[in-house]
Amino acid sequence: MNDDAETGTRTGAGTDPPRGPRGGIDVGGTFTDVVLTLPGGGTAHHKEPSTPADPALAVARGLSAATAAAGLAPADVVDIAHGTTIGLNAIIQRRGARIALIVSRGHRDILEIGRSRMPSSFDLHAAKEEPLVPRERVIEVDARLDANGRVLRDPDDADLVRAAEELSATGADAAAVVVLHGHTAPDYEADLTARLAALVPDVPLVSSAAVWPEVREYERTLVACMNAYIQPLMSGYFDRLEELLTGLDVRAPIFITASNGGSLSLASARARPIETVLSGPAAGVTAAARLAQAAGTTDVVTFDMGGTSSDIAVTVGGAPEFAVNTTIGGMPLILPVVAVGAIGAGGGSVVRVDDFGLLKTGPDSAGADPGPIAYGRGGQRPTITDCYLVTGVIDPEEFLGGRMSLDRDAAEGALADLARALDGEGNQTARAIADGALRIATAGMAVELHKTLARRGLDPADFTLVPYGGAGPTHAALLAEEVGITDILVPASAATLCALGAVGADLRRDFARSLRRPLDAESAAAVRSVLDDLAERARSWLADQGGHEAGPVRLEASADLSYLGQAHELRVALGEADDPSELDAAALAEALHTEHERLYGFRDTGAAIRVGTVRLAVVAPRPDPGADRAAPATGEVEPRAQRTVTVHGRDVRAAVHDRAALGSGHRLTGPAVIVQDDSTVLVPPGWSAQVEPSGHLRLRSRS
Amino acid sequence: MKLPPITLEIIGNKLTALAEEMCLTLQRTSRSLYVKETADFCCALAGPDGRFSAYPRGIGVSGFVGLDLTAAIEAVGPLEDGDVIVTNDPYRSGGLATHLTDIQLIRPYFHDGAVIGYGWAFIHCSDIGGRVPSSLSPTNQEIYQEGLQIPPVKLVRAGEPARDVAALLAANSRSPEANEGDLQAMLAALRTGGERLAAVVATHGSADVLAAHGDLVEYTARRARAALSRLREGTYRFTDYLDDDARTPVPVRVSVTVTVSADSLHLDFTGSDPQVEAAFNIASHGTAHAWITTRVLALICTLDPSAPLNAGLIAPVGVTAPEGSVVNARHPAAVGIRHATASRVNDALGGALALAAPDVMPAASSGLVVPVVVAERHAGGQNVQVLEPMVGGTGARAGSDGVDGRDSGISNLSNNPVETVETEIGVEILRYGLRPDSGGAGRWRGGSGLELSFRVTRDDSRLLARGLERLRFRPWGREGGGAGAPAELVVASAEGVERRVGKIDVLALRQGDTVTLRTSGAGGYGDPFERPESEVLRDVVSGVVSPGAAARDYGVAVTGQGARAAVDHEGTAELRAAGTPASGAHVLGPERDRWDGLYDETTADRLIAALFRLPAPARHGRRVRVLGEALDLLPDGFPSVPATDRELEGARAGLLEAVAALEDEAARSEGELP
Repeated sequence: MNDDAETGTRTGAGTDPPRGPRGGIDVGGTFTDVVLTLPGGGTAHHKEPSTPADPALAVARGLSAATAAAGLAPADVVDIAHGTTIGLNAIIQRRGARIALIVSRGHRDILEIGRSRMPSSFDLHAAKEEPLVPRERVIEVDARLDANGRVLRDPDDADLVRAAEELSATGADAAAVVVLHGHTAPDYEADLTARLAALVPDVPLVSSAAVWPEVREYERTLVACMNAYIQPLMSGYFDRLEELLTGLDVRAPIFITASNGGSLSLASARARPIETVLSGPAAGVTAAARLAQAAGTTDVVTFDMGGTSSDIAVTVGGAPEFAVNTTIGGMPLILPVVAVGAIGAGGGSVVRVDDFGLLKTGPDSAGADPGPIAYGRGGQRPTITDCYLVTGVIDPEEFLGGRMSLDRDAAEGALADLARALDGEGNQTARAIADGALRIATAGMAVELHKTLARRGLDPADFTLVPYGGAGPTHAALLAEEVGITDILVPASAATLCALGAVGADLRRDFARSLRRPLDAESAAAVRSVLDDLAERARSWLADQGGHEAGPVRLEASADLSYLGQAHELRVALGEADDPSELDAAALAEALHTEHERLYGFRDTGAAIRVGTVRLAVVAPRPDPGADRAAPATGEVEPRAQRTVTVHGRDVRAAVHDRAALGSGHRLTGPAVIVQDDSTVLVPPGWSAQVEPSGHLRLRSRS
Repeated sequence: MKLPPITLEIIGNKLTALAEEMCLTLQRTSRSLYVKETADFCCALAGPDGRFSAYPRGIGVSGFVGLDLTAAIEAVGPLEDGDVIVTNDPYRSGGLATHLTDIQLIRPYFHDGAVIGYGWAFIHCSDIGGRVPSSLSPTNQEIYQEGLQIPPVKLVRAGEPARDVAALLAANSRSPEANEGDLQAMLAALRTGGERLAAVVATHGSADVLAAHGDLVEYTARRARAALSRLREGTYRFTDYLDDDARTPVPVRVSVTVTVSADSLHLDFTGSDPQVEAAFNIASHGTAHAWITTRVLALICTLDPSAPLNAGLIAPVGVTAPEGSVVNARHPAAVGIRHATASRVNDALGGALALAAPDVMPAASSGLVVPVVVAERHAGGQNVQVLEPMVGGTGARAGSDGVDGRDSGISNLSNNPVETVETEIGVEILRYGLRPDSGGAGRWRGGSGLELSFRVTRDDSRLLARGLERLRFRPWGREGGGAGAPAELVVASAEGVERRVGKIDVLALRQGDTVTLRTSGAGGYGDPFERPESEVLRDVVSGVVSPGAAARDYGVAVTGQGARAAVDHEGTAELRAAGTPASGAHVLGPERDRWDGLYDETTADRLIAALFRLPAPARHGRRVRVLGEALDLLPDGFPSVPATDRELEGARAGLLEAVAALEDEAARSEGELP
């Protein structure tokens, strides 16, 4: 085991104990987090340094260490759920497989043109994103459907042989097949793919409509291409993982977390790795939403503040919001994913004075290496973390439970340099600059959070903030004050929440099929038959997941509907899809009118309606990982120490508490600092903090 | 600057976010196609001086950051809390509105009885009346044909909607409900702006907010000046041409002389043609207006990408634009298609600025934005669809090829998926892709244009393609780099009879017709014979350069095809030894060279100067007559087709005579000669 590894255990009495210890793993750039939920309730968590050259190694090591610390063996673990960013990084860094693309004649430049937009409208040097398939590996074939799925042109054998020869000549490892309007006749595209595959048996081919049959050729092509692009890398990783875990005598099924906040079997993830690319952040959001719901809070903004940036996501009514317009590596992704948005600075974001005399935070980051100046690893530029140190929010001796000592003097020196740069005379103290930088960072995050909610017409005051990540709990109250949030729930294991989220993630898969035709009795029948078909696929998929669901399976139907002539579609929920026989044209129309009225205040009953994409999500809960419980409070709250902390330009004397010494029911008032071994919680003046029975910390503003 | 730096940074962030939240509110509450699909809208916050202090980034139209609310505010007289001003009048709003379809709203924000800022919003509406549906047509001769002119008036008075004004607006549009939806979305955005500004005032106080308006503009102005100080000092001139004015074949000249001194720029548009009797005029009011400074903003933001967007960006830019010229038109000149002229102003500015910032500025981009529209009549009325907004590529520059098939120079529009287009209207899109061999050859290659080819599957359809340009004069190359290929529009009947079509207003189509639009390629940079063989081979392998063009334009012999293509080094050495590379700061292409052979810089300057001495109404007609007479002596299609030296001499002699006669006439009318 590596010397840098850190292990801690939290125990307590849980209700409804699971069958055995379960493992949750999140592979990050710096650390691989392992969480075990224990049969007696409670969790054990472990941070293992990541091994980027062979990421599965850190997983195996971390699992060994975590189980050993809990007095268990890896073989005792009953299931393992696991998220990884390997696929995402391969796409962003364009390190995936050498793939080719077969398209309808005339549409070779589908990826070159994209949606025609440039990343910036005001940059004469802007370049477009690098396509996943260069033009010379895009091959046209004489296959074409019309918008109704009618075959306009079907390639003869000679054309197919030519295409196959060109495909072989590209030396591609895999290829995607895209026929215009392929989503309207998936069988046609599948058949064409099979005909080609017979000619080039050594190149795996995938039909775009089989991966994701949604209208819009560029976006559908990207889903198929991204899937092919990351598949070899992901399969290689899964092979290695299985090999190492088998070596540890692990026989438990392995689940991979998905971008939609759910999880899927290893076999499913091998076939459809594209579903996993944004799984890390999604698992954190679903874990936060779940623990908030257990604590009685359903409307939540999650706030994940890590080293390089901060992310937020919105959960309304207990369900995280989804997006179908994410961007990865400069390309749109239309699969439904938990909507996570970056809002600005992380702990490693650099603080500087620009050439024109203003103090700035970010967007540059010192990251984890070299990291903040105070880490003493060669960082030369002060960061947000250095500012926490200089304002007294964190103590150099208690960082990460005292396992890492920080150099406060170096941080202060660098911030004093900024003070001189800012006013020329150095009248301001390093402390004032640090406080100013934190206020700037906070204002920057606050305006982004506000915009995220404004986009949906929501008011921050109605939400609870759930912070996690290393710096989330430290910055949460500052951000909440700025946006008018008065309630914060700090999870017991804020720094390893993504791994915890993996353990309890539902089995979930999304399905879609575009129809795009006017609503009438005939198209309503088509909606019902598509839903029947998707439900059958969903059940069959679920059956292949190994039967690990615990609890009733939900089939959630929805459709993208619009008034004819309106460009913008509304996603309309259609309830459970077990029996869609009630869904006639009138019911579909009413569903659109109701949603339109909710959003825009009126219904356009005279207008014709168009049915766009029909969607279905299958959700099957897995066994509840069980909640943490905190020991009941014994005795009064006694601060360990007092120290001066600068908040909003004022120096205040703050009580310092150890989180481990606080029991359920303990309550204290700010200004205070609560130190836990993976983070520090700032309770500013005007706020109170109370330990909930679940072990989570609830902060409330008295204003 | 008045505020402490930390306070200014925080308030600045909040005000920019306020402008972005206004846009988000507008987007969320709007149902308009122009908002949801093409993002032809914007919102911003101005200080009490009417200049934008906070402008959104990454949402809405970016180019209008330099617009000024002052004239529109002054025109309505005293304001009270709850008032909202509406206008779309480019002349009476002092250039705030730039054509009639852009409806502008302004709301004053009060605190303790004093104005502490103005909210602004605009949306390109579907129709504001006028001669044609959608209100925009290149052949409109005066603004009265372009729709209802709304001078700045109050749409809301102290919180009470002015129903008389609303009724007047509704009665003058073909789509009153859609326009009403746009107005409501803008009013909602202005409310959001007011609420957010009140929150900022509650936290920071009105004095700091008032100071922040000025400080933010000053801060950005400092950054803009610092960026401009990196340019080479001096005076630089460049001229470019619109192909024609859509009503006559006479090209329209745009000239700019840029003077760079220390950290400021002066743009002198003297030498640009008088305003035209077509919809290509820009109502700039002789200021550093958005549509005649876009390329300057792009240059500043390229040199300093993180400068906050506000009026400070154009603070260091001064302008001289002759009154009554195509870049400073007077009422009642038509302005509907001003973006086509703005593209050419962009190119003229780009050409001049290239001399001041040779390593930064690219060669000309393809320089056109053409929404290809098909309208089909059916029993219930007509179905009008934009197939694709067609653009080309960007110009090459020192160190980098241009971008193929994308260009955000004038607007950053999304295209439409072929799969959705074909469900909306009776066309089959046969090809939508890069146009090979269209990018100007060079050490660095210009970006490729696009080709859109579609078959019409229903009868009684019509084609509209406003903004079609660069059919005649090519996007120029730099430093020996070649000009891009000119645009082409070809219609082939079901029987295969092809006809090449020029600039069109409306073209009737029959079932089975195939329409092919090829957009111009962008200019190249540097001697193409110096482009490494490997890079030429890469272009041949990817198919954007044909083997023939590789030999002809780059002097590189390529054998084999596709993945098996290879360079023939000996053949290449021979070709490159035999060729004579082009030279000169700008390579304009044969059409422009022929045109300049008829109408050189001195002659053009003389003619235009003389025209400006005539009474304004006489200028356009006289220019068209003088140049038209010269063109009559040359072969049809000149300068796209060459003329013999004799023909050219004859036409030129006549032209010089006409110019001299005009100068005499002007002098006589001014009393200088008897």
